[in-house]
Amino acid sequence: MTKKNPMSKALVRRETIAGYAFMFPSLIFFLGFVVYPMIQCIYTSFFDSTMNRDDIFIGLANYSELFQDTIFLGALKNTAIIVLVSVPVVCIFSLWASSVIYNLKGPVCSAFRCIFYLPVVTGSVAVTVVWKWMFNNYYGIFNYIGTKTGVLEQNINWLGDERFALGCIILILLTTSVGQPIVLYISALNNVDQSLVEAAEVDGATKFQCFWKIKWAQMMPTTLYILVITTINSFQCFALIQLLTSGGPNHRTDTIMYYIYYCAFKRYRYGYGNAMGVILAIIIAVLSAIQFKLAKSE
Amino acid sequence: MTTKFNRSTVYRIISVTIITLLAIAFAFPLYWIITGSFKTPAAINSPSPQWWPSEWVMDNYRKLFSRQVAPIWEFHIPFTEVGFSGPEVPAAIRWLLNTIFMAVTSMILTCVTSAMAGYALAKKRFIGRTLMFSVIVCAMALPKQVILIPLIREMASLNLYNSIWAVIFPIVGWPFGVFLMKQFSEGIPGEMMEAAKIDGAGEWKTFYTIALPLIKPGIGALAIFTFINSWNDYFMQLIMLSSTKNLTISLGIAKLQAENATDFGLIMAGASLAALPIIIIFLIFQKYFTKGITMGAVKG
Amino acid sequence: MKKRKLLAMALSCIMAFSVVACGNSGNSQDAAPADAEPAAETTAPAEEPAAEDAATETPAAESTDITLWTYPIGGWGDSAVVDGLIANFNAAHPEINVTVEYLDYTNGDDQVNTAIEGNQAPDVILEGPERLVANWGARGLMVDLGDLWTDDAKAAIYDSVESACQSNDGVFYEYPLCMTAHTMAINRDVFEAADALQYLDEENRTWTTDNFVKAVQAVYDSGQTNVGAVYCSGQGGDQGTRALVNNLYSGTFTNPEHTEYTANSEENIKALELLKGMDGINFDASIAGGDEINLFCNGTLAMAFCWNVSQEKNNLETISFDVLPMAFPTDSGDPELCGGIWGFGIFNNGDDAKIAAAKTFIDFMTNDQAQVTESVKASNYWPVKDLGNIYEEDELMTEYATFIPYMGDYYQVVGGWAEARTAWWNMLQQIGTGADVSTAVEEFVTTANAAAAQ
Repeated sequence: MTKKNPMSKALVRRETIAGYAFMFPSLIFFLGFVVYPMIQCIYTSFFDSTMNRDDIFIGLANYSELFQDTIFLGALKNTAIIVLVSVPVVCIFSLWASSVIYNLKGPVCSAFRCIFYLPVVTGSVAVTVVWKWMFNNYYGIFNYIGTKTGVLEQNINWLGDERFALGCIILILLTTSVGQPIVLYISALNNVDQSLVEAAEVDGATKFQCFWKIKWAQMMPTTLYILVITTINSFQCFALIQLLTSGGPNHRTDTIMYYIYYCAFKRYRYGYGNAMGVILAIIIAVLSAIQFKLAKSE
Repeated sequence: MTTKFNRSTVYRIISVTIITLLAIAFAFPLYWIITGSFKTPAAINSPSPQWWPSEWVMDNYRKLFSRQVAPIWEFHIPFTEVGFSGPEVPAAIRWLLNTIFMAVTSMILTCVTSAMAGYALAKKRFIGRTLMFSVIVCAMALPKQVILIPLIREMASLNLYNSIWAVIFPIVGWPFGVFLMKQFSEGIPGEMMEAAKIDGAGEWKTFYTIALPLIKPGIGALAIFTFINSWNDYFMQLIMLSSTKNLTISLGIAKLQAENATDFGLIMAGASLAALPIIIIFLIFQKYFTKGITMGAVKG
Repeated sequence: MKKRKLLAMALSCIMAFSVVACGNSGNSQDAAPADAEPAAETTAPAEEPAAEDAATETPAAESTDITLWTYPIGGWGDSAVVDGLIANFNAAHPEINVTVEYLDYTNGDDQVNTAIEGNQAPDVILEGPERLVANWGARGLMVDLGDLWTDDAKAAIYDSVESACQSNDGVFYEYPLCMTAHTMAINRDVFEAADALQYLDEENRTWTTDNFVKAVQAVYDSGQTNVGAVYCSGQGGDQGTRALVNNLYSGTFTNPEHTEYTANSEENIKALELLKGMDGINFDASIAGGDEINLFCNGTLAMAFCWNVSQEKNNLETISFDVLPMAFPTDSGDPELCGGIWGFGIFNNGDDAKIAAAKTFIDFMTNDQAQVTESVKASNYWPVKDLGNIYEEDELMTEYATFIPYMGDYYQVVGGWAEARTAWWNMLQQIGTGADVSTAVEEFVTTANAAAAQ
């Protein structure tokens, strides 16, 4: 639409045909395994749907129930907490860590980079196996060290205590998400135009000013990319919750993602779960749209 | 001058110390999995942790491999009853092969489809382009749990449930790759494409000879990203696979943990088996991994 | 420049790798006929054919493939044991090919449920009436096993088991194999050291509520601060927490007709309040039944509420103390233990040949004279009909047989069970985190009864 004038009708047609021909293989998968199920999801969200029974149309009843369901609202809150805490923390921590690491000697730097990347490749299932043991109430390592050094008066039931469970989940999530941002920031820092930094230093800028005015500005695209992938990552946090707490204690670690699964296979309420999915999808779509508007304006 | 120098040195020393401590903390889970897999039950269950195994045993691995068995490979001709299978091996080996097959296939399919689609989105001015790009952007962060039930039902009606393809296809459908490749393809200079066209190259040839070589680094980045992501995509595996022989290694380990909550040695052995192959791949290709990841960001 | 070269190399490595991978799967296809020898037995794929194929297939004498999914019911969760049982079956029925999958109590239900939605439900499943009858049976997914329940079978199988295996309208969805009484257990060494053995009747394995409280306090005072745990991270082993709560003041979980939940009775509220106030009893939302057993066996906890003979048998190696199985404490002196009844059910996958084969399998495992003892023994539990004393020489089994007379009402067949048990552990979590007991219990009953009414 934007370039109306130079495109003749024939050209538009040719471009369209070629465009869709190139898009075709990808579209099969995208439409088939993302868009189609999404439409199904929206459709069934208006039904009372359960295992092995015909769906009953109930209009918006699932949605109106959702907003009175305290567990759902709690899950929404927990999801928000996870995203709002982990995204900035990941960004800030990885920026700090990479600023420390990047001017270390070559092999040392890459050793650090490797270590921080390890939890990402190890995979959430293998990682949770260990964390479950470390957080254990009775013989976990945190309680062992805590009580031995006198930091803790008595054992804390990390994953079974309302006050700590979500924090523990976020902590694990952080360890599995900072690897990629650190790698990215290190290389971004290495790519910063040194002549600009030197020029600024000559002009008497402090280190701090140098960092914000020059390096930070040059790393903006990297930061945006990191924001996008970290947000995606935080929303995908399912395995940790399913394997460690199953949403407990008292739904304190329920996220929408886990609660959908819970509604489907523990309560057999498919329509209700789908309604939840629709709400989550809307929230995420809006968030992504905002993120991109911001990215565009930069 | 001296105080300033001192201050920044002190800062450096402190921060390097902190980062070293953190690095130890990051490496610890992996260290614990691997050493734990060689410990005796008594050592692993003792109330005070044994930091270094006093006695190294292979029992946990022996137990892991003497559990269920599964044919090492299987081929089933679609729509028929005819199938072939290889000799039986410990199920854990089969899980590993399933996972490799799944990750590699998703990687190839994603790279091929995304490279083409990303190129089209970036370089072709076709009707509906903006709309399509917006849909892709909105769908990118969508967690798969949202479409849990419809996806299972769809796979059931396609007769794909409980096959590795049910895991692969949704991964390939996930539009992040298209987005990434679109960002890369933006950098292809229009003049080169014009020139190719003037030389009489068709659409496909232009893509193949001009665009593809230029976006190869991007494909590498995407390949790595998809490989790791699909290797660790526990959720799709959890809901789509049910027979022992079709499990992936993550799922197998999760099941192992649920079945043998008491046997930490066995669980650690399983976890090592799940983690080590991909870590070895990572260490070998470490340079390319980090380069690939970086490419994605700088362009994206 | 260099960067690009490296990347290109990485890419080509990956490409090469993938070509190899592709090649492999391609080769395997070609190579298949050549080395089909070892595959001969498994030529027929275990996957179920599409529904339309199934319809046109004739049962005949051709081989039939069925899938059996078992929960870890004693040795039935162990592939080495089950392989032996299947081998016996195949000696008698070589035409039926059985593929076994092993479920666990943490994710097993989810796994079956996803498989049902994926049209790949197993043919035969081994579990108890609460799943086979009250859940999947009630949802119309199971095959009516009326023809296995012949008059002879009905006469032989104990009445309480018979009534548990049928739905409220009298349809049989389960054919039982074995049963047990779920008990609790204490670490006798710890109790002895704390001088707490005086509070229990070691001969009859019973104790009163008052004495239970005193005993726990004595153990707690002796320095064992973790005496017992009301585990509630999930549904695994929840019969233990239910039995504990119900027995303390003789409350009930459902009404006698199994139509309504009565967990909000005064007795139950009193019991929960008692437990909550006791030193040494933690409401632990980070562990489920299986974890509790583990913690008991390694000595962390001094008592286990999720116990039965199988637990002791399975953990003989790790246990380094004297285990004393006990009935749950009661104020009336008349414990009502939760029973476990396990048997087979058949999912209706629309294939008559498979259903017939599944019935043959069940019949062989439970009714064949030579086999049934072995099948039951594999579970480490007791038969559901009189087979004589099959555990003649086994001291442990004789010890645990003391508890069979204490077996109470099998209420798990009440409607909405799957939802109710989920609500149960959620309720325990709420209480554990400080919610008011009567409010939490009331909420549980409301949720559960709503599910029962559906």
